[in-house]
Amino acid sequence: MTKRLLSWLPDFITRHVLIALVLGGMAGIGFMVFLIEFDHYTSSEAFCTTCHSMTLAAEPYRESVHYLPTSGVRASCGDCHVSPGVFAATWDHFIGGKDLFRQLFGANYDDPVVNALHLPEAAFSAREWFRKRDSATCRRCHVQDAIIGKRADTRAIHQEDAAGKTCVDCHINLVHQPVPEKATFKRDAWNRMVEEQFDLAPGTAEAILAEE
Amino acid sequence: MISSFVRFVALCLVAGNVVAAKVSLTPDNWGLPAGEECVNCHSKSSSGLTAQWKGSAHAEAGVNCLDCHQASTEDADAITHEGHVIATVVSPKDCGRCHTREEKEQRGSVHAEAVAVIKERMPAMVTNLAGPAIEAAGCAQCHGSVVKLLGNGKLDPNTWPNSGIGRVNPDGSRGSCSSCHGRHEFSKAQAREPQACVRCHSGPDSPDKEVYEASKHGMAFATHRDKMNLNAETWVAGKDYSAAPTCATCHMGAAGKLPSTHDVGMRNAWNLNTPVSERQHLIVFEDGGKRELPASMDAPRRGHKVPKMDGSMGKVKMVATPERRRQAMTMVCRECHGKDFANAFMDQFDGVVDLYNNKFAVPARSIMQALYAEQKLTPTPFDEPIEFTYWELWHDEGARARHGASMMSPNHAWWEGIYVVSRNFYSRFLPQVREVAGDSADALIEKHVTSRDPHRWMSKPNASSPILGVGSRQVGDD
Repeated sequence: MTKRLLSWLPDFITRHVLIALVLGGMAGIGFMVFLIEFDHYTSSEAFCTTCHSMTLAAEPYRESVHYLPTSGVRASCGDCHVSPGVFAATWDHFIGGKDLFRQLFGANYDDPVVNALHLPEAAFSAREWFRKRDSATCRRCHVQDAIIGKRADTRAIHQEDAAGKTCVDCHINLVHQPVPEKATFKRDAWNRMVEEQFDLAPGTAEAILAEE
Repeated sequence: MISSFVRFVALCLVAGNVVAAKVSLTPDNWGLPAGEECVNCHSKSSSGLTAQWKGSAHAEAGVNCLDCHQASTEDADAITHEGHVIATVVSPKDCGRCHTREEKEQRGSVHAEAVAVIKERMPAMVTNLAGPAIEAAGCAQCHGSVVKLLGNGKLDPNTWPNSGIGRVNPDGSRGSCSSCHGRHEFSKAQAREPQACVRCHSGPDSPDKEVYEASKHGMAFATHRDKMNLNAETWVAGKDYSAAPTCATCHMGAAGKLPSTHDVGMRNAWNLNTPVSERQHLIVFEDGGKRELPASMDAPRRGHKVPKMDGSMGKVKMVATPERRRQAMTMVCRECHGKDFANAFMDQFDGVVDLYNNKFAVPARSIMQALYAEQKLTPTPFDEPIEFTYWELWHDEGARARHGASMMSPNHAWWEGIYVVSRNFYSRFLPQVREVAGDSADALIEKHVTSRDPHRWMSKPNASSPILGVGSRQVGDD
């Protein structure tokens, strides 16, 4: 016979059930804390740049206004590239696992030339990601209603002309190496630019991409 | 009578055949609805630019930002801008969508070919004498840059911003309408003002601003500017205004039956910015392209193949001889001057060009060629002082003298022109020839200079010089 704990509890809450609930609850809390800490750590610049290829993305970032604002409000990798909310953040990290897979089994992204040649596709997919979420991560810090600006009509532009647009429709190429929008991107011109930048013979870019 | 009629028809073929260029398209060809978005935002973000446009004939007709800046995604310089595909550079091809006649006329003109004109000079000027920074801020701002697109979609800051008149645009077209028709108001009056040309046609090598201001034409303009009707819809000399001619009047403007033209060099019989001036044929190709050929060459016939400026072969549509070109220019003079007056002025002008050519330019060029042939000079430009002297002789004072005579500035023809040519020829060039030529100097100078009539005075060292305060004029002195 099972001993009753408190008379107002339903009959099926036996001691074992109660222990299971408490332990399960604690495990649940522990799991959530783990997720939060996991998301927090894996969103940090220190974590992202443990992959060499990401240090290449970090170079222009460290010279950008998002890294060095006069206000001191620094946006880290995850502030822009990981969704707010623990579940969305976890999901983003899960999906982002493909980057790790590619780092290990894909092209040699650690090579600055290979990295630069693949950069446009990375930029296109990042922009797509921002657009689908209505630039949710921008809006973490930038509240559209609160944008005043230093020039005369910045506020009016963000109230009137920005209607129906999302942040990245106008504001791109702020942090990383500038890449044209997908619609007007010219692969040939990009390859020539990379070759010029790294002092390579014309056609080297195509040869590198064909090898992969 | 018949031949002059034929000549006139031929001129019209070069220039088009309407007096005032009007856009012949209907307004449904412009006014893209999405362009309104540009206006709304740019009224705030760059209100000065938008205000200029709002005061323009474009705004009045409903031509908005996107009509000129629209682009296809495959265009080399297409970018996305707040959701629209646009191009920053508006080329003559873009303007020519509506302004068809003007675009066709300027194609192949000395303005549109201004980059090709200095192509051979650029290595010496940019690499030897200056550096790439001066190419962007100097040369290319007048002649035009070769606009370069970076792989990241941005315009190479070494080549843009630029409104040089012969700019090579990403779409392959050459020229920049905004060079004279400043964006974004595109004022007619501005392009008719002499000031429109001053940005480039001033300074030591082409002091056309200074020449014009010092001339009776410039004097009349300064005094009667308020009578110039500069904002008029049509601007035919002698009809819509007669107070003074501006640069645009003589080189481009309509006068009497002479149609206006956007081929600014069409009415020039001479090439004045070369070491030695030659009268020039104007060759018009079937495809609308043009080039000049010296009159010493036989004019090619219609249908013949002639190399174009870019090296490709073109089929000749027509040839305007220097005489025809001079006739066109003289037709402008005739709105205010009599025939004899105009022709006699042209004789005075031609006389200075012939004097410059025969007395200084041809001998100097022959001597330089001999010095290079005899390896007294290295082929590298500007590594020897005489190369600067020779360059300035034709490019600076030589051009100044010829331009001064062409547009009636006595000072530029003589004191700033031929006098400086003469001084530098005798007191710098010839002494430097002696320095570098060594033993062969005497023979070289004898052959090209002292044995020739205009220089025989040098063989009379004892002629007195009261002008310098030495001796006095003797009976029997020349």
